[in-house]
Parts: sequence; C-alpha cells; structure tokens
Amino acid sequence: MDTAIKESKDTYLSELNQPIKGVSLWKDAWRRLKKNKMAMFGLVVVIIYAILSITAPILPIYSYKYQVIEHQYLPPSLTKKAGELMIEREETLLLAMAEKMGRNELNDQEREKLSELKARTATETRKISGKVVKVHDRRYILGTDSLGRDLLARIIYGGQVSIAIGVIGTITSVFIGIIIGALAGYLGGRVDYIITRIIDVMYGLPYMMLVIILMALFGRNILNLFFALAIVSWLTVARVVRGQIISLKNSEFVEAARSIGSSTGRIVFRHLVPNTLGVIVVFSTLSIPSFIMLESFLSFLGLGVQAPFASWGSLVSDGVEGMNLYPWRLFFPAIVMVVFLFAMNFLGDGLRDALDPKSKNKL
Amino acid sequence: MTKFIIRRFIGLFPTLFVIITMSFFIVRIAPGGPFDREKRLPPEILRNIEKKYHLDEPLLKQYGRYLLDILRGDLGPSFAYPDHDVNFFIFNSLPKSMILGSIALGIAVVIGVGVGMISSVRQNTWVDYTAMSFAVIGITVPLFVVGPVLMFFFALKLDWLPTSGWITGQHGWVTIIMPVITLSFPYFAYNARLSRASILEVLRSDYVRTARAKGLREIVIMFKHVLKGALLPVVSYLGPAFAGIITGSVVVERIFRVPGLGQFFVQAAFNRDYTLLMGTVIVYSVILIIMNFFVDIIYGFLDPRISYS
Amino acid sequence: MQTMNNDLVLQVTDLRTYFNTDDGVVKAVDGVSFALRTGETLGLVGESGCGKSVSCLSVMKLIPSPPGRIMSGQALLRGKNIFDLSADRIRQIRGGKISMIFQDPMTSLNPFLRISTQMIETIQLHQGTDKMQAKDKAIDMLRLVGIPNPGKRVDDYPHQFSGGMRQRVMIGMALSCNPEVLIADEPSTALDVTIQAQILEIIKNLSVEFGTAVILITHDLGVVAGMCDNICVMYAGRIVEKAKVDDLYQDPKHPYTQGLIKSVPRLDKPGKQRLYSIEGQPPNLIDLPDVCTFYPRCEYAMDICRQKYPPEFVTDGRAVRCWLYKEEK
Repeated sequence: MDTAIKESKDTYLSELNQPIKGVSLWKDAWRRLKKNKMAMFGLVVVIIYAILSITAPILPIYSYKYQVIEHQYLPPSLTKKAGELMIEREETLLLAMAEKMGRNELNDQEREKLSELKARTATETRKISGKVVKVHDRRYILGTDSLGRDLLARIIYGGQVSIAIGVIGTITSVFIGIIIGALAGYLGGRVDYIITRIIDVMYGLPYMMLVIILMALFGRNILNLFFALAIVSWLTVARVVRGQIISLKNSEFVEAARSIGSSTGRIVFRHLVPNTLGVIVVFSTLSIPSFIMLESFLSFLGLGVQAPFASWGSLVSDGVEGMNLYPWRLFFPAIVMVVFLFAMNFLGDGLRDALDPKSKNKL
Repeated sequence: MTKFIIRRFIGLFPTLFVIITMSFFIVRIAPGGPFDREKRLPPEILRNIEKKYHLDEPLLKQYGRYLLDILRGDLGPSFAYPDHDVNFFIFNSLPKSMILGSIALGIAVVIGVGVGMISSVRQNTWVDYTAMSFAVIGITVPLFVVGPVLMFFFALKLDWLPTSGWITGQHGWVTIIMPVITLSFPYFAYNARLSRASILEVLRSDYVRTARAKGLREIVIMFKHVLKGALLPVVSYLGPAFAGIITGSVVVERIFRVPGLGQFFVQAAFNRDYTLLMGTVIVYSVILIIMNFFVDIIYGFLDPRISYS
Repeated sequence: MQTMNNDLVLQVTDLRTYFNTDDGVVKAVDGVSFALRTGETLGLVGESGCGKSVSCLSVMKLIPSPPGRIMSGQALLRGKNIFDLSADRIRQIRGGKISMIFQDPMTSLNPFLRISTQMIETIQLHQGTDKMQAKDKAIDMLRLVGIPNPGKRVDDYPHQFSGGMRQRVMIGMALSCNPEVLIADEPSTALDVTIQAQILEIIKNLSVEFGTAVILITHDLGVVAGMCDNICVMYAGRIVEKAKVDDLYQDPKHPYTQGLIKSVPRLDKPGKQRLYSIEGQPPNLIDLPDVCTFYPRCEYAMDICRQKYPPEFVTDGRAVRCWLYKEEK
C-alpha cells in the first residue's frame, strides 16, 4: 500500500496518514468511465467499427458495387461457394417443376442443364477491378442482394457512409451551435434575445418534414443531405451551450476569478470553455447515433443515399421487400446498425455518468 | 391563471406565421413546379397558371391572398394532381394518422409512466433491470427496424397479425396492433426512463424527507407528494413526443401500408408536389401547436409556481 | 415558567452509523451518546460533516438504507428503544413524539401542495381529528409562529412565502402535534441574520410554552450561547466535550472547543486583530486510524494522542475526551 502511494505523483498523505488523491477533471472522469463495463464495451465496439470503416478499401472483401446478376439472392454461407449455391438452387427449382409435371426425378434434358451449369461455374472468370477472378468461387459470408452484390461489403461500405454522416453532421452542428450559443450566452442583451426567439420558433417546426422537403427541393444527393441535417440540428447544441455559458457566467468561481484579476479572455478560455466541454462531449456521442438514425430514416424512405452507394438505412429498406424469402438482407444490416447504435449509446451514457456523477440516476 | 393562458396563446402565432410564409416562398421558388420559369410550357397553360395563382399581381398582394386562403382553410390545388385540392388528400388520410398517433401517444404515456413507477419503487432489482433494458432497446433501435422485425415474426412467420391495411378492412382493429406498437415503442421507452429518473430524483428531495419525518406512509408519500412533481417532465415531453410520433408515422405507414397522411407526404416528396407537401406541414404544425398549447396549460395546472406568479 | 421536570426524554447510547461508499466505509457517527431531559434545550455543535445531522437522523431512523446503516447503539424514548420498534410504530413517533425541522426552508416544503394540505395531513395523522378541526389547529399554529393573516394564508402555496416565513411554517407544522422532542437542524443558517434571531426566538418561546425538549444542531457558537442549556461538541463523528453552556464558555476543556470559542469574532477586544482560525482541516472519515482525530490540529498534542483515541473523562457533570484530562479521573 505504501509503495502504491509513493508511485502516484498525485497522492499525498494527510496528517493522519490517510492517502488523498488529487486528480484533474478528465483523469477522474476516465477513471470512472473505466469502471463502467457497458461503456467500455461500447467504446471497444465503436473503435472496431471505426477501424473497419477506415480500412475498408484495403480489406480483403469483395467490391460493394460490382454486380453479378446470376448471384442474386444467394443465402449467407460460410462454407459453400457461390457456384455450389447456384447449382443447389437450380436443382431445387428443376425438381419443383418436375413434381408439378408428375415426376419426382429429373429427366435427361434437365440433368444436362445441370451439368452445363456445373461446368460453367467451375471455370467461368470475370474481370473485377482489373483482376481476372473465378467469380463462382466466391464465398458470400452474409449473402447477396437483389443485384448479386456482396452483402458483407455493402454493409461495411454502408457503415462508412452512415458513420461519416454521423460524425460530420455532429461536427458541423456542434460547431455552428457552439458559435451561436456562445455568442448568445456571453453577449446577452439584444443579441441573446433575437437568437433565442429564432431558436424557439425553429424548435416548433416539424424538423423531419422540413428536411424531407429540402431534399425534395434540392435533389437527393449526399451533399444536400448533410446540408439539410446540419441546418436543423444545431439548435440543441446552441441552446445547451448558451445555457451553460449563462449559468457559468454568473457563477461564483467566475466572480472569484474576476476578483483576483483574471482578464475576460482568460475567464472564457480557462474557465467557461472547459466546463462546457463536458456537456458538449456527451452531447456529441449521443448526437452521432441520432444523425445516423436521421439519415437512415431518410434513406429508408428513399430520400437519402442513392444507388450505387449504400448506407445502413438504405440496406434495411432494400431488405424489407422480400424479407419473407430473403430475411438475411434485412437482418444483417439491421443487426450491424443496431449494435453500433447501442455501443454509442452506452458510451454516451457512460461518459455522462463519468463527467457528472450527480447525473447517475437521471436520464 | 387566465393571464397565463392568454400569454401562451399569443406565443403560438410566430411559429405558425413563419411556417406559412416559408410555405408561400417554397411553393414559388421550387424547381419542377408550375412556377418554374425554366420549364417550357405551352402559352395556354402558362396563362391559366398565371390566372389561377394571380401571378400578375404584386407579390405582397399574392401573399395576402395566400394568407386569406389559408385562414379559410383552402390549401390550394395539388401540383401533381391538379384536378384535386390538397384538402382532398389531407382530409381523407389525416383521420387515420391521427387515430394511429393518438393511440400510440396514449400507450406511450400510460404504460411508460406505469413502468417507470414500478421500476423506481423496485430500484436495482431484476424488475428494474429488465424494464430498463427493454427501454434502452426502445430508444436505440430505430422504428424502421422494429416495424419490419415485428412484421416478420408476428405476421409472416406466426401469422397472428395482418401485415397491412386499416381498421375498416377485413381484420378490424387487430390490424393496427403492430403499427401502434411500433410507433409508440420509442416514446414509451423514453417515458419509462424519464418517469423513473424523475421519481427517483423527487424521492431524494428535501420535501420528501420532510414528509417522511412527519411519519407519513410510503404509499401516501408516493401518490400525494411525489407524483405531482415527478410527472412534470413527462408532461413537458408530451409535445416533442407527439411531434416524434407524427414523424415516425411516415415510416410506420409505409411499412404497414396504412393509408394515412404520412404515406401521401412521402409520395408527394417524390412527386415534388409542393402544395401538398406544404399543406401537410401546415396542418401538422397547427395540430402540434394546439397540442403544445394544451400541454403548457396542463403544466401550469400542475405546477402552482407558474400560474400563481 | 414551567417547572423543570428532570425526566429523561431521550437517551442515546453508543450510536454508530456507517455509510458504504465506492471509496470505502464512512464512519459518520462513531460512538455518540447523549441525554435529553424534559424542557431542556441541548446544543449539538460542530463543523460541517462532523456527524451532528446524521446522529439525529439516525434517532428518527431516517437514514437512507442502501448506503447507510445504523450499526449499533440505542435510542431510548422515555425508556423504550426506538431501534427495536416496528416500522409502523416508528412512523407514529415521527412527527408525533419527535419532530424535525431542516436547514433549507426553500426546499423543505412541497411546492406543489398548499400549506393547509401539508399541515392538515400531519395533524390528522397523529391526532385523528377531522379536516375542519385540523385546519383550525393549523391556523392556530400559524398564528403562534407569527404569520400575519393566518386564516387566509393557510391556503397559499409555499412559494408565496418568504424564506423566514416558510421556516416559521415548518416550526408550526413540527409543533402542531405537541411532540416531546423537537430536533432543529440548523434552522436559521440559510436565513438572513435579522431573521435568524426571530426564528430562534420563536423556537425558544414555543418550546417553553409547550414544554418541548429541543436539540439544536448548529455550527454557530453564537446561536448556541443564547438558546441552550447544555452543549455537546462534536468532531469527526464523536462527541468530544459535554458541558452546561456557562461552564463551556467560561472554561472550555477540549482544545477543539477552545479553538472554536477563540474563533468567534468579538466586539469587545481591541480592534485590528487577526481573526483566529484553527489550523488544518477535518480528517477524511474513511479509514480513520484509532488515534485522537484532532491531534494534527492540536497545540497540546502528546505522544499518547497519536496512539489511541481518548476515552471519556467525567468530572463534576462535565465530560471531555482528551488525554489532557487523564489524571482528573
């Protein structure tokens, strides 16, 4: 126990030999966060997703947009190759047709069709991204979609798009929100009044509908999507930042700082901003999944990301049609997205508890 | 109290005003609509349009006309289906969406608060953990995943519930079970967490400590002292919850093929039917604004600090 | 003036209340004993965090039980141990036989209920009267504590009263069922200085009129001097000195008490003197070693102080826990 105390620079002893640890806000928060198993789990998952998204171009996966029409609707399989699945499917189909005609065996004509297929799938090659590949040797771990595209690749690339939208959307709205909120909060008076009125009115507008209308107006491409989402989402950040700055502006520690002679700039940057950062960090972790949900919502309706790009939302949307016959098209993207959302939510909740332990039992 | 109500009432108008004005301009600047100068239309049609929309008049007069129309309840003709008025589409489909939405909100509030209350009283027991885990699922998993998943299991695999349609169809009220559950799920979840947290916070407050120090029983404390204060955040949340339900209905109606206003709205977005789009927004905004107004009034009733000052 | 009945109303023996926290076990109250007689006003004095509030909350069994636990000890109310009673009986005692008022009048009343509702529920609960009678009693109590126009004000909400008025309402509510003991936990601390005096005056007058014994919890020695008959000084979860008020001020025995008295700014000393404050900080209540917890701040610290916590030494009805007084035993 003594050596442990000596090793830590921040610890010293009280007069009664009781160890007292001194920590900064962030170190203390990190310590509390580490204790929270769900949050740590969330952090690990998020990091895994981030790595997969960033390294996607160099991962050994198939192209997300190359279509092999013959491979459409192949079920997921860890062991069977595409060719084998195609042959199985053809065989089942032929047998079903034969049954309709009263036979329960294939006749010679049908058998020959099958052998032709077997021969072709063994040797046929295509040129994909400059390389010549035996296309029917592919193994689709998560199955294929309606155009014969590999679902695993589409999910990973879809993740890139979704996560990018989440992150960029958050950064944009936080940036705009901080500036406007800080201005309103710190300057007060007329400026504050006008800005608050604007925020109030905008808050009353049906957000989603406006985004949909903006998309309809200006076309459905990713740029407009960002624009539309960012315009409407800086509101919460601005309100929160403004609220924080106002309450901190009048708090006692600012008065204390002023009373020992700190300048305004020093007050703002050394005192106000760090206190707001905690709230902003928590908000950001919870806003990323929020953006992803918004974008997925739009993509689900067909108003978001357009083909050949994919996002988790559009993949789920594609998967809903035909989910009776090809459920993997719905469930795999859904599971991948939901796991990410859960991870981010746990992380966000954990961060909030870590940064403000008093909020433990609040939302 | 009356002053409070009047003040709140007056506060309704700015937002509505902004929306109507936005609507006016969007309809006119929108590409692809009849006002699109770049579209080459035969002169006959152009003249008709100009007459219909009074484009020859100064902008301010057009705006005035537009305001009057709206006040009379006339939302104009549909762009995509010029023979029909926007009102035709809206009033045929709005009731269905409202029924769906109201039932969903009702469930979200009643069951949400109920679950929250039970959780808070049995804090940190398995009841609490189960309920809150369920709530986390509701908050995190998006509507358009919950809907299809429910449909997959209960309609397609188990065949217990129908996949689409409306109450007037062959299955009657059973038809809307899944849409309503899907729609209310996230808001029920949020309410459960909100009410649980709020009740726990009030249980820790000074005035509950005083109540205990006076010797009151826990049940009495819960229902007489705690609930009134603890429900305030839930009441505040009613407004945003209903707004969310309206938004969510767009997706839910699409998944379960309910012929409500949400479906028409999305269709209109694809058709670039701006009058229908803006008309829908105006109608929903009015509904939301009225709803928020009542929520404020209820809040004022519950919290004497607001109405008695 | 009522004749002083020398019956023991409340006797607390060796009370220990511990709290389980993430950082360890906090021994908030670690062996506290005191006695209260009918009509007596006992002052419980000490710094923030020394355990005075927790001691009294423990007697009322109002300690929130997941983190806190009453480990041992007895609290005898007219001879009967409160800690042995059933939950129902304890509820009868709260508000009925022992009442408590708290520090912050702004948050201690339910903002959503009328004063009449809050007062009537107490009266009906402990005295079984009907609503009309209860309301009349409530109005009487409000008049007693000095609320003007009580007949009308009783139907108001808490936020329509000022801080001082609210504390008066609290006092009225607490005394409405004629309890034997009133515990006042820093009743005037959150109020303006001028109002402070009024509140303390009301408590004193009413306690005399009703014959209620009072435990006054405070950190302010000035308050205690005017109000109390006896004083217990607490430090780090234990009582370090007990004495009659006059004895305490004339001849404080424990070094901590001496320090406290020296710290009170005085108008009768020559001006331009440094204000005295006791050096150092109170200790962390987790993992306290078995030494005299005051020794780091004590100018008389001896070797034995660093080895064991001093037991109680009693002389002439005064008790002190300090090794300085070992021989006097």
